[in-house]
Formats: sequence, C-alpha cells, structure tokens
Amino acid sequence: MMADLATYVLTALGLVFFVAGTVGLLRFPDTFSRLHALTKADNLGLGFIALGIAFQTETWAQLAMLALIWALALLAAGTVAQLVARAALATTQEEE
Amino acid sequence: MVLTPALGAHYTCPMDKIFLKAAFHRAMLFAGGWLVLTNAQHDALAPGLGVSIAATWLSLRLLPARHPVMLWRLARHLPRFVAGSLKGGVDVALRAFSPRMRLNPGWIEVSCDLPDGARAALGGELSLMPGTLAAGSAEGKLLVHLLDTDAGHDTAIPREAAYIAALIGRRSQQA
Repeated sequence: MMADLATYVLTALGLVFFVAGTVGLLRFPDTFSRLHALTKADNLGLGFIALGIAFQTETWAQLAMLALIWALALLAAGTVAQLVARAALATTQEEE
Repeated sequence: MVLTPALGAHYTCPMDKIFLKAAFHRAMLFAGGWLVLTNAQHDALAPGLGVSIAATWLSLRLLPARHPVMLWRLARHLPRFVAGSLKGGVDVALRAFSPRMRLNPGWIEVSCDLPDGARAALGGELSLMPGTLAAGSAEGKLLVHLLDTDAGHDTAIPREAAYIAALIGRRSQQA
C-alpha cells in the first residue's frame, strides 16, 4: 500500500519533469537553451520514474536493472547534449 | 639486461600498475553491466566473459589508461552528482513553467587542462548541473553555454572540474 503510494507520487513527479522539459523545448528561445531544458529536466524525470518503479520490484536484479537503465540514459544525455550543442554551434558559426 | 634500474623501475612500474588497475576496474564494470542486463542467467555467463574481455580491450584502445579512475571515487561522487542534477532539473523546470521565463543566455570559455576523456566527462556532468551546458572545447578551453548569465551558475564550473580531476587522481589544478 505504502509502496503503491510512493510509486504514484514519484512517477507523477517524473511526468511533471518530462512536461517541464517539453515546455522548455517549446518556449525557450534558441537551440542551446532548449538543450538545457531537455537534458536536465528529462534526466530528472526518468530518475523519478525509475525510483517510483523501484518500489514495485521484487528482486535485487530488477532493482539493479532499473539503476543501470537510469545510469546509461544519464550517460547518454550528458554526452549527446554536448554533441548536439557542438554541432549546433558549428552550424550557427557557419551561418554568420 | 643493463639499464639504470632506479629510473626504469620508476618509469614502468606506475604505468603498468595504472594499466592493470584500469583494465581490472573496467572489466568489472562491463561484467557487472552484463550480469545485470542478463539477470545473471547461467547460459549467458560464457558469452558475457567474451563480451567483457572484448569491451575492456576496446575501451583501453579508445581511452588509454593514463589516469586511474577508481570506481570507489566514482561512487563517492554520486551523491553530489545526484544533488546537482536535482537542482539542475528543478531550476530549468521552474524557468520553463514561469510566465516571465527569466533567461539570459550567454557563453563563457573556461580554461581546462584536463585530458580529453576527463574533459568530456566534465562536459557531460556540467550539462546536467544547473544552468550550464558544455559545447565541446576549442584550444584547450571548454565552451560552456549559460542559461542565465546573471544567476552565477558558472561559479560551479571550477568546483566540478576539481571533482573530475580528483576522480582521475589529480589534485585540483583549476584556478
């Protein structure tokens, strides 16, 4: 019962951050600011959702799998944000 | 073999130790990842051994072990990282939802004498911290985009650089 409640609250919080990331993507003025919103907010959203689902796991293996998924997504977010920013910077410099 | 023993020993020994340590740590990391992904099923163990060895070999080729990255240091860094990315996500979410949307984007260049791999790690880390986003580096300087140049987010950059430097066993060299 308590575990279910934790799952509801945490996954809902995660969704709020995903919405925030999308709102930022739509509202922020330029590519780089939008990248801020996507990487940071989505990373946190996934973290909260993973944490929420963690309360439903039955084995340590499932818990480890969730942690691994979050870690890999985190690694990818940090790396891809840099790559997109670098590419966008090169494009804007070419246009100038 | 005739050589200057003291010099030779000093030169080769730490390098070999760093290499072996790095190989061991990375192999553990890859093997651990495989075990988690496959639920440690028995018939997945043999391929996992091959995959771990291949991944370690590839990793040592792509990112040679010049500096010892210690897993326990990485683990010790985790709470700070989680706290920072929490702040980063909340900060950007508040800005996105706020009607006034206080943004003042701008760029700064940060001199950074970390080696390539560590610099990429710093860039990735900064991209998840409040208000900073790395966009690669030019001439040894890290290009950082600030979401709000008035918010003082850039003060965190030297601190993060020092953390990353400590991860590879270096003392802080960031001004």
